[in-house]
Amino acid sequence: MSVSSEFILDVRGIAIAFGGLKAVQDFSLRIPRHGLYGLIGPNGAGKTTCFNLLTGVYQPDSGEVTLDGERLNGRKPHQIAAAGLSRTFQNIRLFGELSVLDNVKLGCHLRGRHAIAGTLLRTAYYTGQERAIESRSMELLEMFGLAARAGEQSKNLPYGDQRRLEIARALATEPKVLLLDEPAAGMNPQEKLELRALIRKVRDQFGLAILLIEHDMGVVMNLCEHITVLNFGQTIATGSPEKVQNDPKVVEAYLGTE
Amino acid sequence: MTQFLQTLFDGVTVGCLYALIALGYTMVYGILKFINFAHSDVFALGVWLSITIASWLGIGATGQPTPAWYMGLLVLMGAMVICGLVGFTIERVAYKPLRKAPRLNVLITAIGVSLLLQNLGQQKFTFGPYPKSFPTLMESSSLFSVSGVQVRLSDVAVIGTAVVLMAALQYLIYHTKLGSAMRAVSFNTRNASLMGINVDRVISFTFIVGTMLAAAAGFLYGLKYEGQAKQTADSMWVMLGLKAFVAAVVGGIGNVRGAVLGGLLIGLIEFFGVAYLSSQYRDAYVFAILILVLLLKPEGVLGKATVEKV
Amino acid sequence: MNRLIDHTRQLSPPRWTVLPRAVWPLLAGVVVALIAYYLVGPNISGFSSKLMLIAGTNIILAVSLTVVNGFTGQFSMGHAGFMAVGGYISATITYYGSIKLLGTAEFAGGALSWTGSGAHAGPFIGKGDLIFVASCIMGGLGSAAAGYIVGLPSLRLRGDYLAIVTLGFGEIVRVLLQGTPDQVQPWKASQAVDTPWYELLIKLGGPKGFNLLPTYTTLFWVYLFVVLTLIVCYRLKTSSSGRAFLSIREDEVAAQAMGVDVTKYKVRAFVIASFFAGLAGGLYAMDIGAINAGDLGFQKSFDFIIMVVLGGMGSISGATLAAIILTLLPEVLRDLPPVWPAGLVLLGIMAVVQAVRKHWHVKSLVGVGIGTIVLEGARQFCLSQGINIADFRLILYALLLIVMMIARPQGLFGIREVWELFGRKKKAVGSGQ
Ligand SMILES: Nc1ncnc2c1ncn2[C@@H]1O[C@H](COP(=O)(O)OP(=O)(O)O)[C@@H](O)[C@H]1O
Ligand SMILES: [Mg+2]
Repeated sequence: MSVSSEFILDVRGIAIAFGGLKAVQDFSLRIPRHGLYGLIGPNGAGKTTCFNLLTGVYQPDSGEVTLDGERLNGRKPHQIAAAGLSRTFQNIRLFGELSVLDNVKLGCHLRGRHAIAGTLLRTAYYTGQERAIESRSMELLEMFGLAARAGEQSKNLPYGDQRRLEIARALATEPKVLLLDEPAAGMNPQEKLELRALIRKVRDQFGLAILLIEHDMGVVMNLCEHITVLNFGQTIATGSPEKVQNDPKVVEAYLGTE
Repeated sequence: MTQFLQTLFDGVTVGCLYALIALGYTMVYGILKFINFAHSDVFALGVWLSITIASWLGIGATGQPTPAWYMGLLVLMGAMVICGLVGFTIERVAYKPLRKAPRLNVLITAIGVSLLLQNLGQQKFTFGPYPKSFPTLMESSSLFSVSGVQVRLSDVAVIGTAVVLMAALQYLIYHTKLGSAMRAVSFNTRNASLMGINVDRVISFTFIVGTMLAAAAGFLYGLKYEGQAKQTADSMWVMLGLKAFVAAVVGGIGNVRGAVLGGLLIGLIEFFGVAYLSSQYRDAYVFAILILVLLLKPEGVLGKATVEKV
Repeated sequence: MNRLIDHTRQLSPPRWTVLPRAVWPLLAGVVVALIAYYLVGPNISGFSSKLMLIAGTNIILAVSLTVVNGFTGQFSMGHAGFMAVGGYISATITYYGSIKLLGTAEFAGGALSWTGSGAHAGPFIGKGDLIFVASCIMGGLGSAAAGYIVGLPSLRLRGDYLAIVTLGFGEIVRVLLQGTPDQVQPWKASQAVDTPWYELLIKLGGPKGFNLLPTYTTLFWVYLFVVLTLIVCYRLKTSSSGRAFLSIREDEVAAQAMGVDVTKYKVRAFVIASFFAGLAGGLYAMDIGAINAGDLGFQKSFDFIIMVVLGGMGSISGATLAAIILTLLPEVLRDLPPVWPAGLVLLGIMAVVQAVRKHWHVKSLVGVGIGTIVLEGARQFCLSQGINIADFRLILYALLLIVMMIARPQGLFGIREVWELFGRKKKAVGSGQ
């Protein structure tokens, strides 16, 4: 408990290999309660794989993940979500046929009770909960400027809106830590600027910690208090934005690939 | 002891047939990641083509003089070639347009193809709805016996042909250029096409090989059970195909050696179940094994657990 | 922002509204069933009312299969197997229950279950009816239990394994049922009264089937359960559980990441679907007065799959329509009426709808036009050649499945309901911007 009081997410030396490919090796990271941390690195460095390891999509070959004092190893993705870790996906994974509102409502699912008898009989608790889900979802959509499109199928939204909807959906699960996988990808400069403000607002208003993967240096350097750099699955640098930016290994990793 | 050996022998013989069919399931699954539901109907088609071709060649049912040895080979080749063409056509017409569709849609299409083959096969202008019996292609008296086990020439032919075909497949997959292309496509379709492999051709070829093996199994089935009469509409065809699918799953779907192992295993389990427990629940044993494997080792005996890329 | 739980109690509706909300489906079911039985049934031919009855059971089966195959995007192929489980359970309870409790396997129901000729002189509901309804519900529960046992191991795995396992399950059920001993014949009922329960329960007729059951299934009971099934499935679809189902179908990985216990919800959907399949099995058995596992093999499951796929994977109204159409189709095909009037009417409606919505979709109009011409041509050809299309029904279905998957993979209605297609786009709720 001593560690967990200060750091909400504590990752110690996780690793995974796919066949011969060591996608992530000995990855460690500690995020304080309201931290806004960044994870960068060239394409294929293993960033998304880290998220998959944290959220239980893949099981790490070794290492340990603790969220607010709870060990997450061996848990299923939905249990990890229940523990308070939520995420967005690099290749957007919305529920395309469902409405924008229903996507967020599904995020609220986790914190509700959904007994079958209540559902079929439409009991008072069930109905109250449905209304609570609805109002909470609409609040979130308003915050993200999507309320006007609540009834549309989410697959019909423009790209930037889809990215924001994913964040809204993730927030609906009431997470303690939010993982954002390239939230600015595909956005225009204006949208990126707004996104920066939005992410800060989310952190402050919801009081959670955020870890984000991003290629746009403007976004990362401005937003993040602390950055970890991956290359070929290995952590090559970690520290403040200034420190990381001037690290020769980082410069080399980026120049070497771009 | 004799009963044990006899059961063992029968189990292996029928296991070889399951293995041949299972190979088709597993190869298609390995590349396209869907259950080719129509595969059991292609197997049935192999059976009926064999009967039809044999009657064209003037080979009748039991009682008539045994035909020359190469007649059987002719029937086998004919059935395999026609089935291969059918398999090719099915893939091009029904499955190819769905390359990027969700797997569920492809599965439904496969069910459609299966229903189509089944119902077309029963029409008057095809094989007709009436039972026909398997022709006698070789001497049916027993060749020799080992400690009480009667070994017939047809059994030897069944096992022999199956082994030859499996060896040929093994060679094809691991020692030819086409085989390595197949393995590459199965491993990662996108990368394979980036490396200049003509994926569509490889897939077509896989279908042809798979259906030809099923046709061979159909022919051998008729050889083993010569003289028996069956209907086109009989649900046993689908059942046999299904058991072969179970064999593929038990062995590890997508794994060629697993399919062979699974086929033998299923054949043995079925025959020992029938011999030592009860013949009534013949089909139940196989599915009980399936459920057991799915519970304990869902990736199959020789299969490797894979993680879906997210 | 507040937590969800903080709002829930605050927003709960007043207590008195809860009871009406819970029971109106039952009342609606009774009303519809009474109308079907007393107003519709007597005014159509006996054959038509029989078709209507079969259509009703098919609706229950197709709609319940939609819960699994449509909502959650899993693929069950053993629906007929669950129908068999439920059917045999209810047949057993009705038949041997009647013998045990009433001393005879004869019909002992009231006016609501009367299928014989002439008016029924007797009570509205008899003792036999109670046994019958209880047996149908027990059949549903038994089938649901079977669904749980089959679903739990297979639904943990990738989607297509369920298809195989359910198919295998259906066949195992068939094999086991066909291996049971002969039933106690009705004229030996007096002996059976003294036979212990557990000995009777396995005497299910084996390959000959379970015959000479008392027939209780009337339009009343069928449409009562049809309405209940429809409302239950609709409530499911529009509930939080329904969103969980649909999310699994849309993207299983994302659903898990959002905290949906995917296996739990798949099993839930599967168990509910099995329940209704079992219930329909009971209605089916006590309609024909017999049930034979041989008739309920996987071929029968395909019938329901076709209905679901055709109607739209996930559309309750679509599956209902498809169930009705496919029940009537063999009859229609047998004596094929001209196609072009229907085609013209459809074209007209579509044109009007598109004109009103100011959204022209020329491709669909041309498609319907060409389809009409082709169908009419085929009809003329068959008439001139003396070919009966009804014989080629299954080939047509098979082709329909294939063409559908290539041309319109989501089925006629997708996950939407019929009325959602014609209505305006749903307005955003409480949007200020
Ligand atoms: N399930 C998997 N199977 C095999 N290889 C994988 C899998 N997931 C990721 N990889 C590989 O791991 C490496 C890291 O990928 P990723 O984490 O997506 O990189 P990025 O840093 O761009 O997000 C890549 O080479 C990728 O191909
Ligand atoms: Mg990535």
